Amino acid sequence: MTGGTETRGLLRHLSLTLRLNFRSRQPVIYGFVMPVLFLLAFGGIFRDDTPLLTHEMGQLLTISVLGGACFGLPTALVSERERGLWRRYRLLPTGTGGLLVSTVVARLVLLTLAAAMQIALARLVYGTPLPLNPGQLLFAFMCVAGAFLGLGLVVAAVADDVPAVQALGQCVFLPMIMLGGVGVPLAALPRWAQTAAGFMPGRYAVELLQRTISDPRGLSGMGFDLAALVCIGAAAAAVGARLFRWDAGVRVGSAALGPAALALGAWIAVGVAAAATGRVKPVDMQESDYRAVTRAEIRAITYDDLPGDSEFVTRLSPPLSGAAAEHMAGFREELGAWAPGLDPDRGQAARSLLSVAAIADLSVDPREAEIARVVLDTLRARYGREELERILAWIILSPAAGAVATSAPELGLARHPPEAVVRQRVQLYAKKLLGRLVGALSERG
Amino acid sequence: MNPQADPGGRLCVRNLSKRYGAVEAASGVSFEVDPGEIFGLLGPNGAGKTTVLECILGLRRPDSGEVLIGGSDRRAGVGALMQSGGLQDKVTPREALGLFASFYPDAAAPADLIERFGIGEKADEPFDSLSAGQRQRLFLAIAFVNNPSLLILDEPTAGLDANARRSLSSLVAGLRESGRAVILSTHDMEEAERLCDRIAIIDHGRIVASGSPAVLVAASRAPSRVDVRTERPLSEALARAIPGVTGFGVAGNACWVETRDAGGVVTALVRGLGAEGNALLEIRVRRPSLEDVFVEVTGRRWSEEGEGTGP
Repeated sequence: MTGGTETRGLLRHLSLTLRLNFRSRQPVIYGFVMPVLFLLAFGGIFRDDTPLLTHEMGQLLTISVLGGACFGLPTALVSERERGLWRRYRLLPTGTGGLLVSTVVARLVLLTLAAAMQIALARLVYGTPLPLNPGQLLFAFMCVAGAFLGLGLVVAAVADDVPAVQALGQCVFLPMIMLGGVGVPLAALPRWAQTAAGFMPGRYAVELLQRTISDPRGLSGMGFDLAALVCIGAAAAAVGARLFRWDAGVRVGSAALGPAALALGAWIAVGVAAAATGRVKPVDMQESDYRAVTRAEIRAITYDDLPGDSEFVTRLSPPLSGAAAEHMAGFREELGAWAPGLDPDRGQAARSLLSVAAIADLSVDPREAEIARVVLDTLRARYGREELERILAWIILSPAAGAVATSAPELGLARHPPEAVVRQRVQLYAKKLLGRLVGALSERG
Repeated sequence: MNPQADPGGRLCVRNLSKRYGAVEAASGVSFEVDPGEIFGLLGPNGAGKTTVLECILGLRRPDSGEVLIGGSDRRAGVGALMQSGGLQDKVTPREALGLFASFYPDAAAPADLIERFGIGEKADEPFDSLSAGQRQRLFLAIAFVNNPSLLILDEPTAGLDANARRSLSSLVAGLRESGRAVILSTHDMEEAERLCDRIAIIDHGRIVASGSPAVLVAASRAPSRVDVRTERPLSEALARAIPGVTGFGVAGNACWVETRDAGGVVTALVRGLGAEGNALLEIRVRRPSLEDVFVEVTGRRWSEEGEGTGP
């Protein structure tokens, strides 16, 4: 058989698989109706987000992918195997490997369609903002779907019949939904469950997708999450393909234990690596407090009590350019990689960044005005305007909330001013930036 | 084991053995099939027929032995109608044929196959709306998508009603004229006798007899049975006086006689009845069948075998 003939056959198989998916009620219900119901359920549950679902789309898309991978793909494969279709395919001159890939690609296309439908519906029904980084979202989605479909192949390989798919699929699906940060937000989970989530791909999937949807930083700094999914997905896909059976009469047996241990080993390796690099850390509920700030509260904030940018307190340089910008380039880079500023709790991360400006101010650092400018630039670059306004307003209205840094020796700011004063300066800097965002202050103060 | 080209252009199965744990599904199976010949593998369910066919198709790797398919690659030149090979519920015959044909460079046109196998009426209907007979016709059409030189049919009429069975049998009989080598696996004696040029009787994974059905039956030592119905009960003295009778029984006006010389016995019986003034109302001769051959070579009745097609 020539390569051209094989490609033609596989493309025909792909096209037929996609068409058949829409002719039966069950795949349509599981693949497209259920995601809509989940969307509506999320809209009803997560009422605090404004607009609704802005920060829950990552969870929502992950649930859809997880459902398709744990149930959709293996149910289709096992039912086709049970009815002897794969035995028939085995007689074709092409290997079953190509047909397996074609089946997985068809599922990937269906999942992508379902995700696009969810994003469009969220926009229409709830006014949820469209993804900030659509290209990166597509890339992240492919990584997430690839990883989970690999797990689906393992389920299909191990399950002897369709009821077994349901049972095994639930074994992957439910822990991920309940404990993996997919259905229940991490912050709502007890500490032990948050730690357990570090061993599950669902957590990394949600973080990756959400980053590309609502965070201007996109996938920047998400190398570990990407690597975690690729590692788990590649191990699962290799094991699933290795154990794949075209014949319903053949049982997997104990020979599957070794490969299955390899697939599970990838989860453990990822969890251990996450723990060793400090990525498995507590997430608090306060994270979402800033989302409750209303437009009216933002509008009510006044700026007439602010010291000038050139005065002794809370100095702030004009936008940097030329030699001054070059002079601060190193600091800008260090600040970009500063761990407290990368806290998954985005409100806390902003508060920590502002505290750098406050420490420099209180330390009378020779670069205090320029440091403050770099901090404000960094905040603007990392956050969307609407989110940043809410965060700054939250910091102004709740100066005692969250945590502030009182020292940053890794940034050359080793002094320890009192926390209360730092909080006060953080509040002032937050006002200076918010005033610029809402047009109450000019860029040059 | 790799298929090798047999210069004779025929299928040669040599000393094929396959074991599943303690079960010997095929043991030293050897036979040959020529182009234009329909070769039957006859045996009860579980005899090992499917295992042999799966080894020929490459679905199973034999423990030993070899399969030689002359002049063509094993898969490219072989078409198969297997017992357990279904399709998706909602696929149409036209789509299914189009899919399978797309994997072969010189495939038969799906439209031609639809017409040839009489499934035009259902060509665009979903598979789950097809009757059992229509499904078998579709599977036979799929087996033809690659214009095979060797066709393997595993129990093609199993589960069909009488009409569908007759219709499919005539399709299979027509394959002889196409010059293809055909292997037909069946547990239906009558079907094997009617369709096959040669058969091999397989039992517990071994070929216990092979040859043309007529030769096998002729070589059988099993007696013919003559059933007679007369106006008055047949006298025992008359039955005992006929040479060649090996057994008889009387029940009212009906009686049966066993003999290895059916022709001679019928002639003597008719004469004797005439002499006694007893009118002959009905007479039937049942010659030995493949079932009798099976009983002879295995020592068991065919009906003793359980159902199930697995090894």
